[in-house]
Amino acid sequence: MENMKKISATLAALALLSACQPATDAPTTVADAAPAAATAAVPDFSGAWTTYRNAAAAGAFTAPAGGPKLTAAAQAAVADYQSVTQGTDYSPGNACVGGGMPSSMLGSGGYPMEIIQRPEQLFVIYEAHSEMRRMFIDDEAQDPSQFFPERNGYSRAHWEGQRLIVETVNLKTQVDTRYPHSSQATIREEYYFDTPQPDGTPVLAADLTLTDPLWLEEPFTITKRWQAMADYHVKSYECAEPKWLDELIALYEAKGLTMVQE
Amino acid sequence: MKISNLIAMLMLAVLASAPALAHHSAVQFDFQNTVLVEGKVVQVRFANPHMHLVLAVSDAKGAREITFEGHSRNNMSRQGLTPNLFKVGDTITIRIAPMRNGADGGYVTAVRGPDGTEVGRVTAAD
Repeated sequence: MENMKKISATLAALALLSACQPATDAPTTVADAAPAAATAAVPDFSGAWTTYRNAAAAGAFTAPAGGPKLTAAAQAAVADYQSVTQGTDYSPGNACVGGGMPSSMLGSGGYPMEIIQRPEQLFVIYEAHSEMRRMFIDDEAQDPSQFFPERNGYSRAHWEGQRLIVETVNLKTQVDTRYPHSSQATIREEYYFDTPQPDGTPVLAADLTLTDPLWLEEPFTITKRWQAMADYHVKSYECAEPKWLDELIALYEAKGLTMVQE
Repeated sequence: MKISNLIAMLMLAVLASAPALAHHSAVQFDFQNTVLVEGKVVQVRFANPHMHLVLAVSDAKGAREITFEGHSRNNMSRQGLTPNLFKVGDTITIRIAPMRNGADGGYVTAVRGPDGTEVGRVTAAD
């Protein structure tokens, strides 16, 4: 009887092993199998994404009441910024300057966002002001201290199951944003597929947490959602050319010349 | 409904209705009213962050050139604008949100080209 149990257990183990074998049309080399295994294990966020709209469910944003709680230093810096710009046409957008993180990400949608996903990085293009982010995955990321601070910072990422975790540092101090922050701020994003729209349209979501030891009393967390766009690629956003042409035409006119434009 | 839930929903509604991108104040434009303007295109620049259009207009106030502002090229493209809708020299009709102070000019909310094709469904400045 004991032997029968051993034989049964062995047969069961062999059956399980057999079930785990690759199908006959599966790749036969490690080189062939590696890319397929890598892409199959995680979701693919590639594509164009616009503002999520669903009156019956959570909206494009979910955030705690009150917004970010600014420290006294931050409030003073923001007040100064507002005192010099209020009632004027001065704004980053009007000066053809991108919003920077987290505004670039949280503001995307009306001006869509496009993601190009590769195993080692996500390439994210925000149509407004052609802002670009690269989220370097695992070993592709380098030491952020090697790079100069930028409005969109430097982003390192890794997968945790079906979610992409992105940590952004190397930010610049910004008062000209809806989300003021110091250069010491860090941003954590967690991207995942949310419940699709009733018609099956995919929904991408990201939980974002902005932490700033200098300008925030406490971390600020917000959830942002987008829905997929069919057959769309973000357009280029040329913004500086009109100002340049105006200046160039003025130079021509000062010399009594007319610039050829057609 | 719990008060906290109500507050959260109100906050959510406020955030959801906030404009994604506001390049500058648009308080000078009256988006509650629409005015039709016909004119000959003197200059047009489909650009970002805003479109720039100059029409030669002749109405009860006389003949003159009027400058208008409008949506970004990207947003107008998503509303159907194409490069060949009209060109300098064409006579077109535009819908505008007029200036609150009654001055010439306004914010272009729709454009009708020479062939009758109309694009634009702008309800607020971008």
